[in-house]
Amino acid sequence: MSDQILRVPAEERYADELAKLQQADAATGAALPPGWKLSPKAVRAFLIGDEKLGVTRKFYGDDPLVDRAIVTLLGRQGLMLVGEPGTAKSMLSELLAAAICGNSNLTVQGTAGTTEDHIRYSWNYALLLAEGPSERSLVPSPIYRAMQAGAIARFEEVTRAAPEIQDTLVSIMSEKQLMVPELGADARVSALPGFNIIATANLRDRGVNEMSAALKRRFNFETVHPIKDRAFEIELVSRQLDEGLGAERANVKIDRKVVELLVTAFRDLRSGTTAEGTAIKRPETVMSTAEAVNVALAAALESRYLGDGTLTATQVAHQFVGVALKDNAEDAKRLRFYVDTVVRERARSDRDWKVFQSAATALWG
Amino acid sequence: MPAENDREQRLFAAKRLRADLGKTGIYFAPIRHHSVACARAAQALIADVRPEAVLIEGDSTLDTLLPALMDPAAKPPLAVLVLRKADGETFSSLYPMADFSPEWVSLRAAVELGAQVAFIDQPWAERKADSQTRSLMNERYYAESQTLARLAVQEHCRDQDELWEHLFELRADTGWEEFFDEVFTWSALARLDYEPQVLEAEGSLARETVMTAHIQAWRNRVTGPIAVVTGAFHTLQLIEALSGHEPPAASPAPAELRRDKGPWLIRYDLTRLDAYSGYGAGIRSPGYYQRVWEASDASPTAACLVDIARAANAAETTDTISVAEVIEATLQAERLADLRGHPWPGRTDLLDACASCFSSGEQLPPAVRDAIAEVFGGAKLGELPPNTPTPPIVAEARAWAQRLRLDVSDSLRRHTVLDVRRSASARERARFLALMAFLNAGFAAKTAGPDYIAGRNLGRVREEWDYAWTPMVEAALIGLVADGATLREVAATRLRRAERELDGSPNRRSSNAVAQLIAQALLIGLGDEAGRLRDKIDAMVERDPELSSVVGASNYLLGLWRSADMLSIDSPQSLIGVVAKSCPQIAYLLEQASQVKEDAEPAAVTALLSAAELARQLADPFPDMADVIYSAIARLRDARKTSPGVLGAALAVAVPGTDPGISERVLAAFAPGGDPDHAVRMLAGLMQAAPDLILHVPEILDAIDAAVARLENEDFLLFLPELRRSFTFLKPFETAKVAERIAQRTGVAAEELAATLAISESDMRLGAAVEQALRASLAADALLEWCDA
Repeated sequence: MSDQILRVPAEERYADELAKLQQADAATGAALPPGWKLSPKAVRAFLIGDEKLGVTRKFYGDDPLVDRAIVTLLGRQGLMLVGEPGTAKSMLSELLAAAICGNSNLTVQGTAGTTEDHIRYSWNYALLLAEGPSERSLVPSPIYRAMQAGAIARFEEVTRAAPEIQDTLVSIMSEKQLMVPELGADARVSALPGFNIIATANLRDRGVNEMSAALKRRFNFETVHPIKDRAFEIELVSRQLDEGLGAERANVKIDRKVVELLVTAFRDLRSGTTAEGTAIKRPETVMSTAEAVNVALAAALESRYLGDGTLTATQVAHQFVGVALKDNAEDAKRLRFYVDTVVRERARSDRDWKVFQSAATALWG
Repeated sequence: MPAENDREQRLFAAKRLRADLGKTGIYFAPIRHHSVACARAAQALIADVRPEAVLIEGDSTLDTLLPALMDPAAKPPLAVLVLRKADGETFSSLYPMADFSPEWVSLRAAVELGAQVAFIDQPWAERKADSQTRSLMNERYYAESQTLARLAVQEHCRDQDELWEHLFELRADTGWEEFFDEVFTWSALARLDYEPQVLEAEGSLARETVMTAHIQAWRNRVTGPIAVVTGAFHTLQLIEALSGHEPPAASPAPAELRRDKGPWLIRYDLTRLDAYSGYGAGIRSPGYYQRVWEASDASPTAACLVDIARAANAAETTDTISVAEVIEATLQAERLADLRGHPWPGRTDLLDACASCFSSGEQLPPAVRDAIAEVFGGAKLGELPPNTPTPPIVAEARAWAQRLRLDVSDSLRRHTVLDVRRSASARERARFLALMAFLNAGFAAKTAGPDYIAGRNLGRVREEWDYAWTPMVEAALIGLVADGATLREVAATRLRRAERELDGSPNRRSSNAVAQLIAQALLIGLGDEAGRLRDKIDAMVERDPELSSVVGASNYLLGLWRSADMLSIDSPQSLIGVVAKSCPQIAYLLEQASQVKEDAEPAAVTALLSAAELARQLADPFPDMADVIYSAIARLRDARKTSPGVLGAALAVAVPGTDPGISERVLAAFAPGGDPDHAVRMLAGLMQAAPDLILHVPEILDAIDAAVARLENEDFLLFLPELRRSFTFLKPFETAKVAERIAQRTGVAAEELAATLAISESDMRLGAAVEQALRASLAADALLEWCDA
């Protein structure tokens, strides 16, 4: 079954690792916080790996951030993960929820169309008309269910919801209960221990809303940064490329130097500074590690099905265009400038950059 | 891996030897400088073994300071200042001690016990010259160790400091024996990463030879136990040498007292002990560790967080941090400590708790960051026993002032007027006062005279100064010794620091900024530094991409050249060499700056005018240089791509030997069919450059007048703001003259041109009637509230 669906939730994908960690907790007699399935140390091991137990590392780059996130979820405050797009905020939130309560699916997606119903509860209107308000006709939101179960609810992209909708969370987070007046004067759902909320938010993107000070005060903020270490990012992209290709990996020849080229170009454009320290024009589009993996994957598949099975800088250049050129005309100029200056200079002494340059020039002329 | 095996064997052997030496009464306290945990363990060791002698790592010539250090009136933070002469220069170095420094704690524990105390390290004056290292307690070994770096990754620590805290500062009391055993292992791991050649080259081996010899000498001198308190990095070697496993130590360096004056004990403060403040020999967060030390066995977590919240709230720039949030942060720190296996929250746990709980965005608010820096940095100032001798820099400044016949006999404020053009001694005094002002010693302030740094009042020939020799001046001077031993040396260090900061800033290509440094160097009499900076600017001026910066630099240098006699500049001609080099660069950049968009025009015009002004200044002594700039300006007049505003300015600027034909060009621009936008912008540039031209060349005004008359109404309104702006460059009386001339042309009296808004009584009545009718109509439609809104 799980082989056929495109993406399985973390708790299923890593079910064996979670089981191992649970056993290890039981063996050491580690104390579990109320409502938690794993001890905080085991949650940490799930995220950053434990060689002895055979648990893989899933979140890279900032171990102290993981510590802080776990500890925040132990307390009264919610956890707000902020940062540029593509810095693995959602993945971190999914992994934390999977490890802490074994369910990463109690998720609300924030959009401009999110309403209070999505956060509190709504009704099955056929039943509502037939029977009036009852527990049967009430449709609980993921947050409602998380409160009932003492689990972690996730609120993705909270700043994309309108501020007054976001503020529905304020009373839920401070009172830890939700009134349901339709079911009677005293009807309410009180959160069981273990309930908390992990929200992710983007503070700078276009089309995001402000967050009220009242809501901000209910959250501890953690910023997830792009990966700092170049060598490590190359390593990560290579690994995720292998994972993403799965069975196809055997059919594609991948030269590490091409991956290096891709990551270098991404890093240059993301930071606005080349590896040599020269300032360049920085495009507005998001150049995250996740995007780099997407480009690498698409380029590898292109070489598999449309090329000769060897990943070269040509395919990277082809796929680069799709990511880097979204809707911003200025970005096209900036990229052309990058190709004309930095890439041209590197092409003088490096074959792969030369290939990249000619493919890119052919596309952008 | 045989190498790995060798290392392990050597480590285990050394551990056994250490135990054996303990049996003979030599106890090692391997420490990290400024470590609270090490200080406590050393205190426990001394209390436990009651040594007859306590031997401390420290320049053996510092023994002269022992009485002062042992004086109960001495209160840390203090620092020992050592001076050394080499190659004609004096170097200074510091040996700072806080309340919680293991060396200080050991010394005081020894005093209490009545044990003998001695410093056993190689005198600094004999150590390998390393002028870069001003610190006598450098611990870069650990930061550079590969083994420790791997260990840090394994323990999920960000760096060596966090690893050290994780392993040693945050542990339940296990007794000094086990503690020092583990510190020894930890430092030996770092030590074994080093090749003997490296240790030889940087002088560690030589120092250890001296220390070994001292320990042996003390072993022969006393019968009771001996405690040896040294940096843990050295312990492995000391143990091996004392046990005869290493080649026998050469006889200790003869105690040749090649001592310069000093050493000196000075007051220090926690701020400067902070590793981030750049004084070296520091630790991170001395203020925090002071609190840990004072809290003895309790952790200062809650107190720190309360103080951080208070300090941040006092700034009133951020949302108030509530008590509830402080409680939450305290819990957060405790839970983090729990997760990380710490018995109580440490420095990183505390900082992480602040990061989690006190931010409501991507970064901590600046007020919180400042508050953390304040609480973690600390501000405690040490105290010296009375009559402690002061370092030579104070005497130097005083003697220098006396030699120049400045009155420093008391602390009264005095005023002096220096005729720097005529008198050499006045110039000498001015240099000294400027030097003291540059050093922020609080001694002198200039009240009038040329300001070479701001480039103001350069024509003045007198300088006026206020000065006073107060106790504050002495304190400030002592504070300077971290940067050098003499006034000039400190000034040179500061100048170089400013230069380094410049090199690291976005301004690093600005020749103007370097020229400013040259001016500063010359002003305070540092000719050598100025010479070095001159070479630097000479190399960079042709690569400076900023027109205003190159022009500014040339102005500075030209100004300095003109003041060469007042500033006693040795080779003023070399400054002019740089100006000669920058003229072609200015010409090149002028062309670049001439092609700008409309909104950048005023700035481009300003740059062009400053270049023209420079050319005018240069014309008299150096006509060739001026020509380079002038011809560049002349070229702009005919270049097709020149922006209209810049073109207007280029036309208006007087270039000797050329006639731009301004009136024809203006007429042409405003002629029928010309682009009105182009014409108006050109006019704006022209007026910005030389507003009075419009008065002296009547044809220009005529052309404008005719052109404006021809403009369509809409276009006129469109260009009106720009036209208005153009005419604001005129002075009021010039505006009046222009009005007169316009009036003449149109045949009206000048006064009639002034727009007046006269309202007659009947107009008022009409207005009131209209309003009433309108109200009535709205009232009829129940819309009256629109009126009041």
